[in-house]
Amino acid sequence: MTSELNEAVVAAQAGDEDAFRFLYRTLQPGLLRYLTALVGADAEDVASETWLQISRDLPTFTGGEFRAWTVTIARNRAMDHLRRQRRRPLLPVPVQALADLAGDADTAERAGETLGTEAALALIATLPPREAEAVLLRAVIGLDAESAGRVLGRRAGAVRTAAHRGLRRLATLLQRQDPTSEAAPSATPPRPRPGRPTPGAPYVEQADG
Amino acid sequence: MSFRQPDRPDLPADRAASDRLLDSARHGRAGDDGRPADPLADLLAAAAAPARPGELAGEEAALAAFRAARAAPATPPARAPRRRRRIGAVAWIGAVAATATAGVAVAAVGLDRADEPAPAPAPSTASADPGASGPTTAGPTAPGPAGAPSAPGGGTATPGSAGPSTSAGAAPPQTPGVTPGAGRSGAAANLPGLCRAYLAKPAAQRAKALTTPGFAPLVAAAGDAAEVDAFCRRLVPDPAATPAARPTHTGRPASKATPTAGTDTAAED
Repeated sequence: MTSELNEAVVAAQAGDEDAFRFLYRTLQPGLLRYLTALVGADAEDVASETWLQISRDLPTFTGGEFRAWTVTIARNRAMDHLRRQRRRPLLPVPVQALADLAGDADTAERAGETLGTEAALALIATLPPREAEAVLLRAVIGLDAESAGRVLGRRAGAVRTAAHRGLRRLATLLQRQDPTSEAAPSATPPRPRPGRPTPGAPYVEQADG
Repeated sequence: MSFRQPDRPDLPADRAASDRLLDSARHGRAGDDGRPADPLADLLAAAAAPARPGELAGEEAALAAFRAARAAPATPPARAPRRRRRIGAVAWIGAVAATATAGVAVAAVGLDRADEPAPAPAPSTASADPGASGPTTAGPTAPGPAGAPSAPGGGTATPGSAGPSTSAGAAPPQTPGVTPGAGRSGAAANLPGLCRAYLAKPAAQRAKALTTPGFAPLVAAAGDAAEVDAFCRRLVPDPAATPAARPTHTGRPASKATPTAGTDTAAED
């Protein structure tokens, strides 16, 4: 998997469009999901900026973990975006947007009985930022703790701890939801409702702090 | 299911257990038969699930960016981009405005040229061309979605700006025979020409000249009749002052850019 990715990177650096397409298809879902947790509804815009920069800077990539390289670009773009947004008097509500998404996804996924991707991401996004980022980088992007640490500018141990705390928190959240879905699925849909205040402050504000 | 379990069943015991869960997230859901072994593993697998169609919507845009980056490797941002871009935009606006009134403008410029000893054409063309040709090579793709509109603009502007340089360079400026050439490449050509004609007029006649249809594209490009003066001085260096300065740095790019512009025009025709 990783060697396949590295081959594609080399080919794309030599100008192979199919290789670049492969990179996009492989990496974009994870980047978009990670960015959704960071910037909410603007994730697609930030992802476009990210790919613009990846295209431009691809020749300068000299090896190492390509996933980490791309996700670092994505994270920088997201931070720029949040900074820009804070200058404007807009009120970003990414968690809210995620909750809405989760609602839609939940009904769509009901038939499958499993947790939808949107709902899962929405749940992860309710974690404290450090934990959410650690979980997303590890599980969704697929970085190991060392690479994730480099992306976040923290030690691998700190990332592992944050991810571990995040998982425990998620397990607790799931547990809280689970009985409702088993006992009375029609009465109380087990999803974050748009109107319900989310535990913890909105993600964006903490991400900057 | 949850009733079978005591109150804290699914919590990963330590960091190593969490690591294993996180590592296996991208290997798919635990139970493919629809019976997830562990809700937490299931959640992580769902979060890391394969791409859904909507997530790859930007694929063509990303590829376009990739092609653009290949076509124009990293040099453009290094060179003074500010002024060029502005001139490029001006040329584009001018091209649009001039195209709308092409016939009239061409005729008018032809007449004006016949009157005035037209100064050599190089300067404005030269400065506009690099700006225009940058976007053109990178054109279909370079700035991604946002830049797309400017690419056709650059294309239009390039044949346009080629007009005066070919006409004035090849033919003696005073012959009306210039007009066919200029007409072929479109009135977009003549924004610099219009400026030169305008600047060559006595100051007293300028305001009046701007009310004629022939100068309408110029007024449109400048935004306002009152702006034409400044606009033209930006676009065309003062003809009286520049004979020495012109050939040195602007003459060559113009002659270099012209052939490509010419083929563009031919291709379009």
